[in-house]
Amino acid sequence: MGTVVLPHLNSGWHVDQAILSEEDRLVVIRFGRDHDPDCMRQDEVLYKIADKVKSFAAIYVCDIDQVPDFNVMYELYDPCTIMFFFRNKHMMVDFGTGNNNKLNWVLEDKQELIDILETVFRGARKGRGLVVSPKDYSTRHRY
Amino acid sequence: MATRRDFLSQPAPENYVAGLGRGATGFTTRSDLGPAREGPSDDQMKEMLAKRAAQLGLDGAKKDKDDKEDDGGNDDERFQDPDNEVGLFAGGVYDKDDEEADKIWDWVEERMDRRRRQREAREQAEREEYERNNPKIQQQFTDLKRALSTVTDDEWANLPEVGDLTGKNRRSRQALRQRFYAVPDSVLAGARDLGAMGTTVADDGDASSGAGGGDSADGTMTNFAQIGAARGKVLQSRLEAASQVSGGDATSGSATSIDAQGYITDLNRLQMTEGQAQVGDINRVRELLSSVVKSNPNNALGWIAAARLEELAGKIVSARKTIDQGCQRCPKSEDAWLENIRLNHDSHNAKVIARRAIEANNRSVRLWVEAMRLENLPANKKRVIRQALDHIPESEALWKEAVNLEDDENDAKLMLAKATELIPLSTDLWLALARLETPENAQKVLNKARKACPTSHEIWIAAARLQEQLGQGQKVNVLKRAVQVLAKESAMPKREEWIAEAERCEEEGALVTCEAIIRETLGWGLDEDDDRKETWMDDARASINRGRYETARAIYAYALRVFVNSKTLWTAASDLERNHGTRESLWQVLEKAVEACPKSEDLWMMLAKEKWQAGEVDGARLVLKRAFNQNPNNEDIWLAAVKLESANDNEEQARKLLEIAREQAPTDRVWMKSVVFERVLGNLETALDLNLKALQLFPATAKLWMLKGQIYDDLGKVGQSREAYAQGVKAVPKSVPLWLLYARLEENAGNTVKARSVLERARLAVPKNAELWRESVRLERRSGNMTQAKSLMARALQEVPKSGILWVEQIWHLEPRTQRKPRSLEAIKKVDSDAVLFIAVARIFWADRKLDKAQSWFEKALVLDSDNGDGWAWYYKFLTQHGTEEKKADVVTKCVLNEPRHGEVWQTVAKHPKNARKGVEEILKLVAAELDA
Repeated sequence: MGTVVLPHLNSGWHVDQAILSEEDRLVVIRFGRDHDPDCMRQDEVLYKIADKVKSFAAIYVCDIDQVPDFNVMYELYDPCTIMFFFRNKHMMVDFGTGNNNKLNWVLEDKQELIDILETVFRGARKGRGLVVSPKDYSTRHRY
Repeated sequence: MATRRDFLSQPAPENYVAGLGRGATGFTTRSDLGPAREGPSDDQMKEMLAKRAAQLGLDGAKKDKDDKEDDGGNDDERFQDPDNEVGLFAGGVYDKDDEEADKIWDWVEERMDRRRRQREAREQAEREEYERNNPKIQQQFTDLKRALSTVTDDEWANLPEVGDLTGKNRRSRQALRQRFYAVPDSVLAGARDLGAMGTTVADDGDASSGAGGGDSADGTMTNFAQIGAARGKVLQSRLEAASQVSGGDATSGSATSIDAQGYITDLNRLQMTEGQAQVGDINRVRELLSSVVKSNPNNALGWIAAARLEELAGKIVSARKTIDQGCQRCPKSEDAWLENIRLNHDSHNAKVIARRAIEANNRSVRLWVEAMRLENLPANKKRVIRQALDHIPESEALWKEAVNLEDDENDAKLMLAKATELIPLSTDLWLALARLETPENAQKVLNKARKACPTSHEIWIAAARLQEQLGQGQKVNVLKRAVQVLAKESAMPKREEWIAEAERCEEEGALVTCEAIIRETLGWGLDEDDDRKETWMDDARASINRGRYETARAIYAYALRVFVNSKTLWTAASDLERNHGTRESLWQVLEKAVEACPKSEDLWMMLAKEKWQAGEVDGARLVLKRAFNQNPNNEDIWLAAVKLESANDNEEQARKLLEIAREQAPTDRVWMKSVVFERVLGNLETALDLNLKALQLFPATAKLWMLKGQIYDDLGKVGQSREAYAQGVKAVPKSVPLWLLYARLEENAGNTVKARSVLERARLAVPKNAELWRESVRLERRSGNMTQAKSLMARALQEVPKSGILWVEQIWHLEPRTQRKPRSLEAIKKVDSDAVLFIAVARIFWADRKLDKAQSWFEKALVLDSDNGDGWAWYYKFLTQHGTEEKKADVVTKCVLNEPRHGEVWQTVAKHPKNARKGVEEILKLVAAELDA
């Protein structure tokens, strides 16, 4: 459901325009494959919070098979990856996982996701390039 | 929002390079995940751009331009707009207009380039031309410089130095080149050991354990620190010795100079002061002194020093020998001879030496006296002294010795007569002669003496005293002439000296002379102004302090002769008589005083009081009558008369007097005294009657209102008493005692609430009054309201923070025992010094059995305020428990002297009609009994 409803970015140009178009909102892009079960689960969550965070975040989805332009640039090898941009700047988040560039696992807790988005947004507004996630995800996932 | 999202519905442009439009950069997280690159690569971009350009049909033009730009320095990057110019319009559509504009711009640029190339070629040519004409030095030597590259390292090293051929600064340069090196310790140690015989065996084991290690093994280890310390010590001891000497010799100041005498005396002193003569020191000093004596044998001091040294070393024989040599070398030195005599004191040689000494210098008084002392028999002494006088007839000291030796008065007289002939200027000899002569002859002697030394005031005083002894002191005024003569000779001593002489005369019993001296000389040298009074009073006071009452009396007498009408002087004189004179003399002085100042009621009253105290009631009456004649209608005298009569139980007389006084001197005080008089006698009705009359005349007198209230109170009419107080308070709202009486009346009647309101009103009428506050606090306390009392006290202390009585009240009644001391400390800090507070502190100490402290605090308080009767009473009470009888009696007499009139309990006791006729001592005892511990 979420995968279908969330706005899709169909080309590299669209991705760029999406990132450039937002002046004071966070741009959240989910890179992945629309048919992937992980992605579907993640999209479900994203869809559910989209309305709640619409005042400070815009959420898009992007199929990495359809738009392979960024696969090398952004190391998009995981089934599901969420990245954050603010005013054409890539925002990094210290999740404690060792990869600060993106959120590359499925986060199904809505409130946690909202918290992360809010933290990133606040940090970005203050001019930060890297923010610390409100929760440490190091032990919970693969590492 | 919607417009922004438009891109979602738009198609993407062809050949768009993803990420290029926004300058995206990639990242590398983990190398094992795959190759990562920084955004789109250059090749990629060029490829894309080429693709786009080819599609738009601009391929050829672009290529040309690129080539040209490569030629011209390829500064494309530099001029690029920082904000991503490359991709700024990349998304836009390239149409015909753009193409035309591009072509025009290309043409413009081509043309500009052509012109620039021409200009640059021209400028290049001009520059080359200029350089050919004006070549640079650098360029001229270029070929030579290039040749330098062939020079080898050796050749470089062997280049000769350029010497400084100028003569300037040569010396300083040489000095600069000169160098000094520190001599190593090993050289010093070697030098030390060079001529030395080693007497100690170096202990290898011990030495090797030291820090020196191998170096100390051969015994050459030198501890320079120890040597330095030892030198320091030596220097210090020398400095100390020097400072002692110079300290002892600071007056002569010869310690620093190389004066032989000074040096020797210093050495002597050093020997004497140190006391512990060490053998080594003595030997050294002996050498030193022997060299002094040899180098300067005519200096007696050197010989004396040498002899003293021997004496100190215990070699009395060699000491005598030394000084004998000295005497032979310096026969004219008195000191050497005296030293010789001293050293031979116990042997019979002394007389021989004395004879030799006198033969050598026969005009030395000291030697003659010394020779005389050596004789044992008086006859021999006399002989010696007469011989001496033959040689030196003008020596006063010798004459005095001679006279002292004479036992017979006549011989002495003869000697003195001779002496005075020979030495006419010696006052002492004249006076001694006069003392020995009969009075008649003494007069003659003194006259002669006066002629001989006209500047001596002692002779004049002696003459005056002689007259006094002859009983003619009053008749012949010697001192008047003395003052005249001495003034003429300008040998007049100062006033202070005269006073000292007078005091000496008094001490020796010559009172008339003393008086005469003061009379004649006191006014001498003082300006004729009013400062004299103060000066004389000061003189008299100083004499009294020295215990010379006659002198003081004489000074007052003289001063009073000059300032007849001075009340202060009369008072001071009468004080002197009262304290140190007889009653008759006091009366005399006071009689004179009232004659001189008849308008001074104080003096009259004093006289009357003295008479009365002496028991002469009639005399006192007489005095008062005279006072009336002089000062009619003076209320003080009226009241004194009344007091006299009432004290002597002449009630009728007193009443009559009061009546007359009321008519003649109608003051509020007279009226009040009348009321009090009647009240004391118990005639309450009469008193009330008088009081009412008085109040009609003087409604603003607080005391009359108080009396009225009290009389009603005595009569038991509480209601009327209250009315009286209420009226009084209205009439005189500022009278604190009236308010207090009113409040107490209410309280005694059991109306605590009423009393409280009265006090409130009182505090309104008289703000910041400590007594009213205290009464309020006490009212609460007495009615058992401790909390209320405490809060009131806090307010009181806020309003009147510097009041001793409030603090005392708090300390004594509102604080627990343990808190009393700290609280009193705080109070003393706040209030500084307050007699009441001191008494409280003393009582605290008393309660703690710290009797010494308590006593000292009591005395402090009484010194601070001797008018406080409560303080005296407390002290008396304290002494009855812990003091001696003498101390108690002392306090009582002091109290009676001070006549205290204030104090809370004192006033109530003293003013009570029952105690109206009691003395201070009785009241003191009553108050002490009244005080609650």
